[in-house]
Amino acid sequence: MPVPGADLAALLTRVARGDHAAFAEVYDRVAAPVFGTVRSVVRDPSLSEEVTQEVFVEVWRAASRFDACKGSPMAWVATIAHRRAVDRVRSEQRAADRDRRSAAPLIAYDDVAETVEDNLDRERVRRCLGALTELQREAVTLAYYGGYTYREVAGLLGVPAGTVNTRMRDGLIRLRDCLGAAR
Amino acid sequence: MNGQQPEPHTLAGAYAMDALDGQDRARFERHLERCEECTREVAGLREATARLAGAAAVRPPDALKDLLLAETAQTRQLPPVPRGAPSATARRTPAAPGQWLARLRGQLRAPRLAVVLAAVAVVAAVAVWASGAVVRPSPPVQSTVGHDVATVLTAPDLAVLTGRVRTGGTATVMMSRRDRMLVFAAAGLRALPGSKCYELWLMGPRADRPAGLLPMPKHGMIGPVAAVGLQAGDRLGLTVEPAQGSRRPTSPMILVLAL
Repeated sequence: MPVPGADLAALLTRVARGDHAAFAEVYDRVAAPVFGTVRSVVRDPSLSEEVTQEVFVEVWRAASRFDACKGSPMAWVATIAHRRAVDRVRSEQRAADRDRRSAAPLIAYDDVAETVEDNLDRERVRRCLGALTELQREAVTLAYYGGYTYREVAGLLGVPAGTVNTRMRDGLIRLRDCLGAAR
Repeated sequence: MNGQQPEPHTLAGAYAMDALDGQDRARFERHLERCEECTREVAGLREATARLAGAAAVRPPDALKDLLLAETAQTRQLPPVPRGAPSATARRTPAAPGQWLARLRGQLRAPRLAVVLAAVAVVAAVAVWASGAVVRPSPPVQSTVGHDVATVLTAPDLAVLTGRVRTGGTATVMMSRRDRMLVFAAAGLRALPGSKCYELWLMGPRADRPAGLLPMPKHGMIGPVAAVGLQAGDRLGLTVEPAQGSRRPTSPMILVLAL
């Protein structure tokens, strides 16, 4: 498969036309990254399932809004998933659960990867994360996998919020270049 | 700690990772509407975060799929965004073309206004021509009217070029050699299938460089979008490419303009 994203884009085009079979296929392709991301941020298993379900209902509903000229299908889906997870955590668990969530983000590295492709992806991301400075890496993983705001990350790391911002941006740019994820 | 009002541009990373909350997020999203470069940067960073998502993959419980398929079977989908054809969705877009022009004028310095309005009139005329003056032309939905556009339109060496797109439509380019920038807009473009995008190229004596994937046309219209890094001897090209974009043109040029 030369361009995996192309297939997914074509599937989303069919989903936009109400094709349920195509939607089931999209689910099979991206359910693991979506659920893994949501679970990493949300933590609570049953809430994670609920949010994952919401994410896919949104993918179904808004498929016609996907514009392949603006970004990859995976980025579109992952953006919906992460935003949903983060918003849910922030609105529902703000006070109580925040204290219970540990500072170290749960990166699902220890879970058994689903496919060889997942494994390769994980290995590459791990390698590229390893190439960041420590502060960049911590800022990126706390924000993405932990779902923390930059102000919270600043508090957790004991550095100024402005510094966290630039580290997040620089870190993601380096990650993007390292992963060859640029379009 | 002084993080109360950070420079918007530095927030692109935090925004791409949803690390902005409440007011911070709203403020940055307002900034995004005006900053084409930021929009492009965020899109690029999201390709990286998508890989972070991929690395976190965990298989969900099997029961979830059945639950979900049952739910979507009863969920109404959003109507499609028009690709070339007018539709109710496009007409709902809040800003009218007049407002768009007014906003542009507001951004520009008065002395240059006559030249600028002449340039803007070209774009508007193209738009009206393309739409047969019956359907009101849609304003750029993802507004890309930002600093780059204002820079070009107010440049002392502003030049305006137009050309016919071979597969249908007309393109207008406003450029400033001094600022090495151009602004591209087109109207009457053919709609493309979901797997294809229009891509701009800067073709120089030494190398051809991709100058950006264009968002899908609305009412056949694209832009204005800005491209930077213009070099002496460059020509502007337009091709149809696979949705992921290409490093080199993979289909014949449907527009070439000597800049």
